Amino acid sequence: MLLYKLPLMKNYRKRELIATCKKNGGSNLIRNINKLLRKPKQKNNDIQAEQERQDVKPVDFLSNHFDHNVEAFRMVYDRCSDVVFRPFLLFGKKRATIIYIEGITNVEGMEEFVLSPLIKETASETQPLNEFLENKLPISKVKRMHTIAECIESISSGNPILLYEGESAGFSLGLAKWEKRGIEEPIAEVGIRGPREGFNESLEVSTSQLRRIIKSPALKIQSMKIGSYTQTTVAIAYIDGLVDPTLIEEITNRLKRIEIDGILESEYIEEMIEDNPYSPFPQILSTERPDTACSSLLEGRAVILVEGTPFSLIAPISLFSLLQSHEDYYQRFMVGTLIRWLRYSFLSISLLLPSFYVAILTFHQEAIPTALLLSVSASRDAVPFPAVVEALLMEIMFEALREAGVRLPKQIGSAVSIVGALVIGQAAVQAGLVSAPMVIVVAITGISSFMIPRYIAGIAIRILRFPIMLLAGTLGLLGIMMGIISIVIHLCGLRSFGVPYLQPLAPLKGRELKDVLWRSPLWKMDTRPHLTGEFNRYRQSPDLAPSSKKGGDTQ
Amino acid sequence: MEKGKISSLQMAIMMYPAIVATAILGVPSITAKYAKTDLWLSPILASFLGYATVYIAYKLHKHYPKETVIQFSEHIMGRFAGKILGFLFCFFYIQVAGLIVREYAEFVVDSFLVNTPISVIMGSIIFLCALTVYGGLEVLGRAAQVFFPIFILAIFFFSIFLGPDFEWKNIFPILGNGVMPPIKGGIVPGGWFTEFFLISFLLPFLADQKKGMKYGMMTVFVVTMTLVLINLIVLFVLGPATSFKVYPLMSVARYISLADFFEHLESFIMAVWIVGAFIKLSVFYYAAALSTAQWLNLSNYRPIVWPIGILILEFSFWSLPNTMGLERYLVGTFPLFALLIQTIIPLFLLMMASIRKRKRQASQ
Repeated sequence: MLLYKLPLMKNYRKRELIATCKKNGGSNLIRNINKLLRKPKQKNNDIQAEQERQDVKPVDFLSNHFDHNVEAFRMVYDRCSDVVFRPFLLFGKKRATIIYIEGITNVEGMEEFVLSPLIKETASETQPLNEFLENKLPISKVKRMHTIAECIESISSGNPILLYEGESAGFSLGLAKWEKRGIEEPIAEVGIRGPREGFNESLEVSTSQLRRIIKSPALKIQSMKIGSYTQTTVAIAYIDGLVDPTLIEEITNRLKRIEIDGILESEYIEEMIEDNPYSPFPQILSTERPDTACSSLLEGRAVILVEGTPFSLIAPISLFSLLQSHEDYYQRFMVGTLIRWLRYSFLSISLLLPSFYVAILTFHQEAIPTALLLSVSASRDAVPFPAVVEALLMEIMFEALREAGVRLPKQIGSAVSIVGALVIGQAAVQAGLVSAPMVIVVAITGISSFMIPRYIAGIAIRILRFPIMLLAGTLGLLGIMMGIISIVIHLCGLRSFGVPYLQPLAPLKGRELKDVLWRSPLWKMDTRPHLTGEFNRYRQSPDLAPSSKKGGDTQ
Repeated sequence: MEKGKISSLQMAIMMYPAIVATAILGVPSITAKYAKTDLWLSPILASFLGYATVYIAYKLHKHYPKETVIQFSEHIMGRFAGKILGFLFCFFYIQVAGLIVREYAEFVVDSFLVNTPISVIMGSIIFLCALTVYGGLEVLGRAAQVFFPIFILAIFFFSIFLGPDFEWKNIFPILGNGVMPPIKGGIVPGGWFTEFFLISFLLPFLADQKKGMKYGMMTVFVVTMTLVLINLIVLFVLGPATSFKVYPLMSVARYISLADFFEHLESFIMAVWIVGAFIKLSVFYYAAALSTAQWLNLSNYRPIVWPIGILILEFSFWSLPNTMGLERYLVGTFPLFALLIQTIIPLFLLMMASIRKRKRQASQ
């Protein structure tokens, strides 16, 4: 924090601050800095922000003087070693310059299709130069740019700018090309059956994947730029006629109010546009699977794609969207239904099992059958802690292990899991610190929290597990019910872009239960879910149910 | 005031636990004192009060479709008398909410958390209900919709699991002492059935107002059936001993035994019952907050949700000296008090309203 804020201050303040830092001990440090920083920081920031805006977006038009223009670009790209200015003589007569950025421009293409035809000395000039450039250059995209800002945008996205003497415009040549990751299997959402393609960091690849699945021109993709420094392209995809137009308007408005330095991941967008920022539950779904995104599009939802990340956002959603996996639809419907119910029950286990154990062991021992009670109490005999403390200890330990495992390199990761398994599983029990049933409870909870198909929804459950455990330790089953009731109240008040979060269940929508309480066979899912506003109800013709008699007349 | 809209199904789902939750707790034993083995007939007799109350509330709603009783009593009785009547309603609902909290907390402390201070139990449930009421009618309706299936399923499994313990002969003699005992026994449940007047606070916010009457009547019927079922279960299992138990349903729950493994499930029954009590209190709390806000001509009821919560907490202490007082109140005072406020006064209002309407039509 200290290092981050120092450059913002004027010199004398910095000196003063360092002096006070030396005088005071560590504990007062942060408070003092805040005190010192409070006023000057704001002023500095305002001035800085204004300067930045001026720097980034010069609205000047290109002038008639070639030298002025080149000089202007040299000023803008001062100290940018990756920007190349390539001066040459256009047809051997006029001075010209190509400006491009190394690494995101197709240099071979530029040499072959731009430089070599333009450098050649041609004797006759039968047509004006600008027409020649627009008509004869073998490049698919050539565009005239009149302002410096436009040119900079073009250069930054990899399209070189051609300037030459006597022309008050630059030519943007569509030669952008940079290293991209190939299309790979989505790592965070794998499955047994279904397409193995995932979205890509590059926006064009991602949108092309959507377009390859939904070929109808009704698939609209609108893009905008967000982030004053990163200028990240963000695209909203939807299907015209299926989506509620007010939803798109709402999303666009919410995106437009984002004024931020940069967008590095779709989470930045998610946090800026969700309905209730203080909820542990995600109100927007993120996916890296094009098929999941397309199924949402076909249900009348909108997909937000962000340049630079394979994770696209889907809105609006309900709680149940977070508990559905793409594979529910790629397997037979009975399996899908069964797995869905398995998921629901393990969701409640992952939320409640440790609290339940604590509550029953602390307050309601009579509910345990005698034989079980004897064996549990025998194993808890040597444990010095009350059940709540034991449960909290173990759960925190487990969370720590999981967190440690996620971000470690694979080689060390296995070591962590071995140590963790030994510490949690055996040593703790043998040392008499933890009882064996507790270990089983924690293990089951851990496994069941992996059952939730969306990682982010699993996190919400993991967070909520701890307060409920404390409630269970103080008020028993009553406390657990208090916890459940407060979660339900919260969920009932939550909305995702106008859609109630518990949608088909509360408020009850009989027609939509077919995709929540069970997974209907595909030939029965005739209607789309109703989100907001007007909607296109039917998605397929009725009587699709197959049978041997419906095959026609062939014998 | 309230911008949310609920469906009439949601209204029915809110009203069901609002009546049943406390009516299955101590009422069966009170009924049994008077009706003996005919206690299952009493809810049927008492339900007529429920039908009448729903009818009156709906008719009043027809006269003044967008207003609650606080607002239209001013139109009917004039400003001054209407305000006095409105105050009576506000006071009644705050006081009854306090009573429900006390009933709930006494039950929890008596049966489960013996060492926990009663104020903690009361405070926690009032806090949760305040959150719900603050969220608005839509949140309340949805919460009821989420919890309703749990409540129903619990009653369903409860009656199935107790099957082996049923002593069918306990039901005889039917009407052995004439019709009077079940009628006497029906007085206390009757007080509960008058609580259906609460739909008067919900009807103005229905998205489909025409179905209000139908769903209201249906709720009365389902509530009656549930109470009959519970009374029968209690009678079949406990027999003549029913009237000695304070919480007969909990005593019955101790009989459940599945495969010699699941025994003593009363704490789970309590856990499910809490959900019902939560919805019941929320509905009363909502009525209290809404009526107070309308009585004070506020534009929004949300600022007074927390103060009313404190009042409810205070009333839960002020209304009753102790548990014995609770039972005396439920038998002696409550049925008449509730009948007066929730059925007789509305009936009076309805008569006034129709006379006024006829006069207006005649003058035209």
